[in-house]
Amino acid sequence: MEKEPTHGASKEKDANYVEFNLLDRAFMEHPQPVYQKLRSKCPVARNNSALGADQLLLFSHDAVQYALKHPEIFSSKMESGFLGNKDPLIPLQIDPPEQVKYRKILDPLFSHKKMVQLEPDFAILANQLIDAFIDKGECEFNSAFAIPFPCTVFLRLMGLPLEELDLLLEMKNGIIRPDTSDPDEATRMRTQMSERIHAYFEKAIENRIKKPGEDLLSYFVTAEVNGERLTRSEVHGICFLFLLGGLDTVTATLGCGMTYLAQHPEQRRKLVEDPEIIPSAVEEILRWETPVTGIVRILKQDVTLAGVEAKKGEHVTVMLGSANTDENAFPKADQVDFERRPNPHFAFGGGPHRCLGSHLARAELSVAFREIHRRIPEYRVKPGEDPRYAIAIREVQYLPLVFGAGSQGAS
Amino acid sequence: MKVQVDRSICVGHGRCQVFAPEVYTEDERGHCLIEREEVPPEFEEQARLGAGDCPEKAITIFEDEVRESTDTAG
Repeated sequence: MEKEPTHGASKEKDANYVEFNLLDRAFMEHPQPVYQKLRSKCPVARNNSALGADQLLLFSHDAVQYALKHPEIFSSKMESGFLGNKDPLIPLQIDPPEQVKYRKILDPLFSHKKMVQLEPDFAILANQLIDAFIDKGECEFNSAFAIPFPCTVFLRLMGLPLEELDLLLEMKNGIIRPDTSDPDEATRMRTQMSERIHAYFEKAIENRIKKPGEDLLSYFVTAEVNGERLTRSEVHGICFLFLLGGLDTVTATLGCGMTYLAQHPEQRRKLVEDPEIIPSAVEEILRWETPVTGIVRILKQDVTLAGVEAKKGEHVTVMLGSANTDENAFPKADQVDFERRPNPHFAFGGGPHRCLGSHLARAELSVAFREIHRRIPEYRVKPGEDPRYAIAIREVQYLPLVFGAGSQGAS
Repeated sequence: MKVQVDRSICVGHGRCQVFAPEVYTEDERGHCLIEREEVPPEFEEQARLGAGDCPEKAITIFEDEVRESTDTAG
């Protein structure tokens, strides 16, 4: 322990203190046993190693569920975690009931019904990407598919030019995982990047005001909430959040899922033999892998959780991945069952801040796994190589795959 | 069998309508609407699955004989 926690009774600190670094790469690679160990020791824990400040960690499904359902106690306002933005991310960093007015105009854009209608377009895109590498007998999956597939969908929806993808990825990565281990330096880098993001969207917004189209950005500048248009700062808040949500999480889920399937051929064959189970396999991959391992909140009042007292103003990390592998909530939680029913996981969070893009993500993931396994039924991690996980969100940044069943790789 | 949804809890995960579109549909925001409060026997199993898959436990099932609740939230 490097410094004393700023809050919390010291007598409980020892009993509930856990050694755990959210930014550790070994944890990112195999988080499930870590959750199990920590959860059985402390359903609710304290820790000060990850962000340099005292925080509460919620590991049990009960505690996670409670936090998600009580935004009036567990606030996700800007103070909950610094991402460099000067406008609150909308709707995430606005607490209910005010948040509801934004969800009312954003939810309909991403409804289950609307997203299912996009699936044929997603299938065309997936096949174009597969065409580009299938004959080589191998690919680096992240750059060949996991990044371009959801990011192309996102840019098309937003109405942003595809050639600006690299720039947008650089901006997104600069916020989610700034290239430094020093917290002060990370703050400085995020602030700087946030200004670039603001300047980028300012230009894009101006363009849409002059020449509106059918895209989401045009919708944001013309949409009305209670008879009034969104302010410029509100539009920026939405764009910033969409940049983070739209360009990282499905990439991460595809990478985690394909790594799992490459390493578990008997499970992969179930998808190949019976593509009907793919939607429920997607749910199980989301539960087991939970690429967004945890989300941050700040306490608006004192609270006691699983016997641990916490004070107003304390930071909380709600460990979604641990809740999703909690044996008290999921029978045989440590087994991956592609036909698990029911599967009420929290991979998309829960409560009023439930991931706005969950139905988009599900449609993208189902189509991607279906088309990949239809065309490439056998593959594995390239011999002698290891998948490499990023920190923060579990993106598999390097995933070399070879196709075919033969021991020499491609067949 | 009867089904009820607590719309103050539903946040639009949309899992119910995936399992039982004949029983659960959605409003403009993707929040659950009950299509048929009285569930015909042929849709009972799907209705149960849809309720069980709700991460918010927003749906309550009332079985015909014994009243049984899926609501375990504290």
